[in-house]
Amino acid sequence: MRVLSILFLILGIILTAKAKINVVTTYPYIKSIVKEIAKDKVNISSLSDGKWDPHFVPERPSLAVKLRNADLLIINGAQLEIGWLPPLLKRANNRKILPGKAGFLDLSTLFELIQKPTTVSRAFGDVHPQGNPHFCLDPVKIPKMAEAIKEKLCILNPKNCSFYQENLKNFEKSWNKHLAKWNEKMKKLQGSSAFEYHRMFDYFFLRYKINVAGILEPFPGIPPTTSHLLELLKLAKSHKISFIAYAVYNPKDPVEFLSKKTGIKAFLLPHDVNSLPQVKDIYSLFDEIVRRLTE
Amino acid sequence: MQKFVIYIVLFIFGISYGQNYSTSSFTNPFAQNQFVPNISLIGDFSYVNRNIKDSTYKSLGISGFVHEIFHSHSGHEHAPINAERGFNFNYGELAITSTVDPYFDLVGIFHLTEHDFAIEELYFTTRSLPYNLQLKGGKFLSSIGRINQQHQHYWDFVDIPLVYKVLFGDEGLNEKGVQLTWIAPTSFYLLLGIEVLQGENELSFGYEVVEENGNTIFDKASKPNLYTAIVKSSYDIGNLTLLGGLSYLTGKARFNHLDDEEEPHAFGGDSNIYGIDLTVKYFLDAYRYISVQGEYFYRDLDGKVYKNSNFSNLNKKQGGFYIQTVYRFSQRWRTGFRYDLLNKNEINGQNKPDDLDRYSFMIEFTPSEFSRIRFQYNYDRSKFLEDERKKINEFIVEFNLVIGAHGAHAF
Repeated sequence: MRVLSILFLILGIILTAKAKINVVTTYPYIKSIVKEIAKDKVNISSLSDGKWDPHFVPERPSLAVKLRNADLLIINGAQLEIGWLPPLLKRANNRKILPGKAGFLDLSTLFELIQKPTTVSRAFGDVHPQGNPHFCLDPVKIPKMAEAIKEKLCILNPKNCSFYQENLKNFEKSWNKHLAKWNEKMKKLQGSSAFEYHRMFDYFFLRYKINVAGILEPFPGIPPTTSHLLELLKLAKSHKISFIAYAVYNPKDPVEFLSKKTGIKAFLLPHDVNSLPQVKDIYSLFDEIVRRLTE
Repeated sequence: MQKFVIYIVLFIFGISYGQNYSTSSFTNPFAQNQFVPNISLIGDFSYVNRNIKDSTYKSLGISGFVHEIFHSHSGHEHAPINAERGFNFNYGELAITSTVDPYFDLVGIFHLTEHDFAIEELYFTTRSLPYNLQLKGGKFLSSIGRINQQHQHYWDFVDIPLVYKVLFGDEGLNEKGVQLTWIAPTSFYLLLGIEVLQGENELSFGYEVVEENGNTIFDKASKPNLYTAIVKSSYDIGNLTLLGGLSYLTGKARFNHLDDEEEPHAFGGDSNIYGIDLTVKYFLDAYRYISVQGEYFYRDLDGKVYKNSNFSNLNKKQGGFYIQTVYRFSQRWRTGFRYDLLNKNEINGQNKPDDLDRYSFMIEFTPSEFSRIRFQYNYDRSKFLEDERKKINEFIVEFNLVIGAHGAHAF
């Protein structure tokens, strides 16, 4: 009997010692922010790996394994994941991380989104009724996300709360330093105009007062058509367009066509952590965007 | 007098106008429009070209498996999709889904044909069972095999694979019952599931008593009648995803064809079905992929057949498979090839035709996520008129469109 109770005690110690909470994020950029706050106190993994179209991450059943073990799921929200996350959540059978539960955090609820349509119709393509969901590319919004993540971690893992608090403070300090650097560099693009493939970088451009003069997609989610590209060509003749921005998963051909015809430079910009090999964390995401635009 | 009437009219108008005015500024405290569930409607239409007359096509059978491909045992004729040459309205599918409360989700899928409204699926799933368990109950498509639980509009080809058609019918295994699934705590994806189903499939399972002139020929089987066990597992290697599954089905079979004009007969016995499926999908980039998918089913049907007031033993060992490959070569285009074969067709130890095959090719264009135009060509050698094999060339153009809030599909 005594042996048994000792065994249970040891087992209990092993189990609690191993009981790091599991955090799963939908995108790598969220994982990177969690890492800044939690360091090695939690296990973190991301469902998407940065090279996919964030609207259509392949719903591989193995991703349900990550969700099955999760104590906390952090999503971008604003319907960016609507095309792939719901069936995975259904598959994972994990009640802790469903919307509304303590183990669920939707970052889009922190912000007022831009481009919220007043009427919603699919005649305008695959629109997001809640507004543009790519808010993570506004560097000013990152600390607010970090704070919300810290608060959530404190609820789920109170014994490390002061550690998270400390890391948040350091992160904010360091982030603001970087932000000042980016702001400085981006000044020279203020007031310029750009084309982009999809309304992916609008928050970034809005922050740095870059005007989006045209979108290569005729409608969200619909690849560029010739007639639409010709319209953009015409527009480029009458307006000064400084560059064309596109993401790693966007088909290159229409971008190159437009760039060749107009002589406007095309910039492949990282849209998420891990979308390019040199973009390893949330800092280098913006480092790289700024570098590519300003060099 | 006229003036008086005008005053009255104005007065009434004034009252009604005033009332309208006051109701429009009045908010309804009991409004529930925020709780409207997700509603979507799918329309499926096709144009068919076939080298066989419709009347002949309707009386074709698949030797050893199905007498007539349009035949139905439950009384009403249920035509498969793309049944007629020329234009077909295949179906409308109305889906209404929502979370019920913290404990349940409810899914309703309604199958609408020109003159019929059928509840294809109406089931609940649990949201908050512990230990990664999920319970499903109601009327639903069984999770056996790979494509059984997918609806037609999600298939890669217009028509159901032959092996499904001959073992479960045009709608697959769709039953009333319950299902319990469990995601095992393994480092790879492993799902174990069991189902207890009523067992009313008209081709492989049944429980109804068979009677002739008041005499019981085959007694009633116990209800529920069908039990299934399912294993699914998935593993990733870089950009490659493997998904495999095993299925086992066991139940009683009762088929009553005593009302048939030709050769009235009935069957009573046991039915066991074994299935294996494998899907391999390789992602070339965010939109392009190549997938290979195959499924094999084997059925052992054992019992007695009653014909002309005599009983005789009947044992059918039958099986078949399909294998298909699909290449999505750009965001809006996919093409694919499928090979169907029923390769085992042994009845009482004697071989019936076991080279029943079909070759299918498709190419499709999806203007957006919500619409699809598909061209499919079939060369079908599986159908017979009496004992004569009919080689069918079929060309199908299918339009499939969805409006409203339709949930994302599983892998």
